[in-house]
Amino acid sequence: MIESLTVLYGALPYLFRGTLVTIALVAGAMGLGLVVGVNLAVGQVYGNRWLRKAIGIYIWFFRGVPLLVLLFLFYFGLFSLLGINLSAFTVAIIVLGLITAAYQSQIFRGAILSLPEGQLKAARALGMSDRKAIVLIILPQALRLSIPGWSNEYSIVLKDSAVAYALGVMEMMARAHFVASRTYEHLPLYFSAGLIFLILTYLGTKGLRVLEEKVRIPGYSR
Amino acid sequence: MGKRILWVLILLLSFTLVTGVQAADKVYVNGIDANFPPFAYVDKNGNPDGFDVKALDWIANEMGFKVTHKPMDWDGIIPSLMAKKIDIIASGMSITEKRAEQVNFSIPYWKIAQVLVAKNDCGLSVDQILSNGNKIGVQRGTSEAKWMKDNLIKKGKDFSLVEYDSAPLSVEDVVNGRIVAAAMDDAPAKDAARKKPVKIVGGFGMASEDFGYAIRKEDTELLSTIDEGLKRLMASPYWEELIEKYEP
Repeated sequence: MIESLTVLYGALPYLFRGTLVTIALVAGAMGLGLVVGVNLAVGQVYGNRWLRKAIGIYIWFFRGVPLLVLLFLFYFGLFSLLGINLSAFTVAIIVLGLITAAYQSQIFRGAILSLPEGQLKAARALGMSDRKAIVLIILPQALRLSIPGWSNEYSIVLKDSAVAYALGVMEMMARAHFVASRTYEHLPLYFSAGLIFLILTYLGTKGLRVLEEKVRIPGYSR
Repeated sequence: MGKRILWVLILLLSFTLVTGVQAADKVYVNGIDANFPPFAYVDKNGNPDGFDVKALDWIANEMGFKVTHKPMDWDGIIPSLMAKKIDIIASGMSITEKRAEQVNFSIPYWKIAQVLVAKNDCGLSVDQILSNGNKIGVQRGTSEAKWMKDNLIKKGKDFSLVEYDSAPLSVEDVVNGRIVAAAMDDAPAKDAARKKPVKIVGGFGMASEDFGYAIRKEDTELLSTIDEGLKRLMASPYWEELIEKYEP
């Protein structure tokens, strides 16, 4: 028992550095997912038939293929074939980001569709272009409504990020495994890794909750 | 609100780009399976360490090139070499015909035998372990996993294989009692026996293998540099020091 604690104590700085990698992975992926996801959602709601079809295929693909397969496909396949030498870390962010974009787009789409249809018409009546109306009227409301669903996606991406070790990204879970292999203290190390994930999930969802309250439009029905 | 989000995004993007930039100097990257003590692992401070890591460091110094060690998943280590993500694999890799179709191997530097590891109080012999429908653990993607399937299970031996991510994880399950024994190289088996209540029961009939460093087929120059470096290392007193220190 004492021995396990000593091992654990010694390994903590190493695990924490891995936690930073995990946080960077998740932040990058969620950011990329936000940008791509919003565009997908807008395209799916307001785009023409072909755009909607193309976005449908994108979403079907990225939701349908397992994360590990996509990581290998992009890292060893696509980017290597294109001759682009991206680091494993960057590829992991891109793949996680593109996958979460597919899921996030559906959160945003639901939020956009939940807004009264009259808003777009009212914006047009005021002489706004569709583009302007979507950016200034629809999205500010839809994004606010999306925060609860988005926090769900955050905790999923957080846990998925552990798979990035398949490419050699030294995130937290991989590091826990390394220390366990050297010291044969598997259980305490995986337990700590689980605890760190729990704390990160708590902090993230709590932060988004605060954001949700902060950006709420006063007097506007929830 | 919109502006703030934009700033966060710009920050994230620049971060991604900065970390994605590759070093300009040619430094050879050695891919290691850091779950393979004593040949390759990470030390207390998180730095790569182990018999192969220190051996390659010595060779790099002797032959005048630079090398860094990058921990990798064993399953993806040969694809990584082929895709030029790494340049060499110095991480306790057995020289096999199948692998030699894809990569070149250096001269052999270590002879390794495959053994079964069981709990200290296990009274069974090797033959008894490999019968009765017993479950035997093995690391996925290793030469011993392939050999056991081809030469024991297909020939009618009555046991089943349970495949693990790493040899230490299979030892963990031996201790838990979920599997009767685990098959692995003798060096990590000795390492396990020092740290866990397990013992080496004995070999199971697989011929001993040689470890070599794997290099892409086209990198013939690097191969001859490594071969020369290995020869000099094995002739130097540092070789004995390495063996003494890591007890493979």
